[in-house]
Amino acid sequence: MALPPLPSGFRQALDALEPALSSDDAQDLATYGKDWTRVFTPNPALLVRPRSTATVSKVVALCHDAKVPVVPSGGRTGLAGGAVAANGEVVLSLERLRAMGPVDPLALTVRVEAGAITEQVHAHCAAAGLFWPVDFASKGSSQVGGNIATNAGGVRVIRYGLTRHWVLGLTVVTGTGQVLELNGALEKNNTGVDLRQLFIGSEGILGVITEATLKLTRLPRAVSVFLFAVDSLDAVLALFERARRGPFTIMAFEFFTQACAQRLERHRSVRPPFDAPSSHYVLLEVEDPLPGSLDGWLSGLFDEGAVQDGVLAQDEGQARTLWTLREGISESLSATGLPHKNDIALPIAGLRAFCAALEALLDAEYQGFELCLFGHIGDGNLHVNVMKPDGMDKGAFLARTHALDDDMFRLVQRHQGSISAEHGLGLLKKDFVHYSRTKEELAVMRALKAALDPRGILNPGKVLPQLAGT
Amino acid sequence: MPLKILVTAKRVEDSESKIRANPAGTGIVLEGLKYKMNPFDEIGVEEALRLVAKHGGEVVVASIGSKDCHEQLRQALAMGATRAIWVNHAGPIDQLGVAGCLMKICEREKPNLAILGKQSIDDDQNQVGQYLAEWLGWSQATFASKEESLDSDAEKSKTPALKLTADGAWVTVVREVDGGLETLECKLPAVVTTDLRLNQPRFSKLPDIMKAKTKPLEELTPAALGVDVTPQLTVTSMKAPPARKAGIKVPDVAALVDKLKNEAKAI
Repeated sequence: MALPPLPSGFRQALDALEPALSSDDAQDLATYGKDWTRVFTPNPALLVRPRSTATVSKVVALCHDAKVPVVPSGGRTGLAGGAVAANGEVVLSLERLRAMGPVDPLALTVRVEAGAITEQVHAHCAAAGLFWPVDFASKGSSQVGGNIATNAGGVRVIRYGLTRHWVLGLTVVTGTGQVLELNGALEKNNTGVDLRQLFIGSEGILGVITEATLKLTRLPRAVSVFLFAVDSLDAVLALFERARRGPFTIMAFEFFTQACAQRLERHRSVRPPFDAPSSHYVLLEVEDPLPGSLDGWLSGLFDEGAVQDGVLAQDEGQARTLWTLREGISESLSATGLPHKNDIALPIAGLRAFCAALEALLDAEYQGFELCLFGHIGDGNLHVNVMKPDGMDKGAFLARTHALDDDMFRLVQRHQGSISAEHGLGLLKKDFVHYSRTKEELAVMRALKAALDPRGILNPGKVLPQLAGT
Repeated sequence: MPLKILVTAKRVEDSESKIRANPAGTGIVLEGLKYKMNPFDEIGVEEALRLVAKHGGEVVVASIGSKDCHEQLRQALAMGATRAIWVNHAGPIDQLGVAGCLMKICEREKPNLAILGKQSIDDDQNQVGQYLAEWLGWSQATFASKEESLDSDAEKSKTPALKLTADGAWVTVVREVDGGLETLECKLPAVVTTDLRLNQPRFSKLPDIMKAKTKPLEELTPAALGVDVTPQLTVTSMKAPPARKAGIKVPDVAALVDKLKNEAKAI
């Protein structure tokens, strides 16, 4: 697609800021123009990789002056197209801003630049016996700035909460190039609107996060990993209720269905270590069981028939094997077919009714569409994967999934849920946002956007749907 | 005739732990280490359980160490072993001491088979099974492996890889040798040591983990067995391998070929 060229003199002005700041190498543009969504064709005009907040500010100011759109870019592991540059934007990668300051062992904080990789932050803090508890499968590539801009979730949210809880201060560059220092390293600061929170989870439409003061906690102590076989979603939830009252701290409570397990076995030859298959499985990870107390809790499960079967990992290798059964699912679904993915949240109390309604919908209107459900059920978060039937044409399937999304999101709305629990809206889900947010809420979001990014250059076309007639 | 199989469950450092030499070079840093059953022993327990499931009989598990090794004995009991023998010994012990204790246990228990890990992953000696067979005058088959892959249907249905002959007097063992597999028939009683590709050990079921706590665990000591376990081997030093040198970047293919040819002498 032919795009309007960048204004004359723009590139020269950029390159005067820092040596080797920009690149228009075709391979760079293809790589940095996309995220893990993979469904959009990257087409950025330029890649810019500054080395300091000051340069980020100057770059954004130049873009503001020249009305050039900017896509803030981190590790590009997002699943909603939030970091995709498909329309001649400047990709503003934070990857060269990756310095990490010393860990403060008294305050339990660390100051890092936005491009620091999550796993490296973990290693940096682990040396002091501390932990930034934002943890998920893509931590080897994801960056702190992206984690914050998407308010990332993951498997430990049940224990630690979202990324939002672990950010004290931010340095942000707004859409005019203005630099805001927000909240420093303060735990308490009741002086008006907490602007920091606006940028957390805003997916780059309000500003570019360049630095952050992270809040830390101690490393988890020894954990035990269980896998349970149960015979219904009701039993999964009943087990969750028991686990919440159990003599331990829950680190993770994840579930998956037999349909997921079968595809994992087809792809990787691993399966739950039980004699007979079961309709649902639960992975429970716990920290610090009270000495001698676990037996009573476990006996109760079996005596009262709460679970069909269960195993406890005896060493780290077995624990990893059990985690593979859960964390390998996403990859195995893609390896054994074409999944249509959704990431939704529901109030825990509404999960049963929603899942029953979803199954009824598929039975009635979408026969042959296999449903693979898994996710962070302790957070009310379901990853809903619908697989293309073997005989169906890919185009026909994708067309049907659009109809299915509308039908399913209507169900989500009826059950007071969210159409995007942790993946965000990006490009992929923005047109469905009305199922979760009201017109009035969207109007407030647009007003905030106009205040912080008056020319609309930051991540245009993301998060907020286009207004009718524009 | 029901089988009686003796297996071992040595407590070793979990290979997932960070294991490093101590500054004095006298051993490893013990702080923060996790422990597990020697994985080769775990494969031995699994194989014994499969044989007993097929032919009937009992599996007796033995371990030598301080009370800490109860954890590994209980794990074997949770997997399905019938009872445990704990040789209470807290100090150092070498392969001769271990084989001596196991010999005495075999003389008391008179198993048809002793299935041991081919080596333990802590000091990697690979000697105990061989000493034991020699001293008892039993047949031996080391490095027992299996013909099919670990993904095979036979593995998934937990079929034993070791096979008893119809008269129950011999065991057929497939073992790994350089470049292939060798099949041996050993007259019972025999000592078999396990290699990594013999089977995939089972997970312990939670009800079995709880039941294992009440299974019989007999306490013995080297002295009660009449074995002098004073080590005849001492570790004089232990050190980490030299750190790898940092890599370099070359500007182009020609420079790479030049380096490979003239510096690395790889081509």
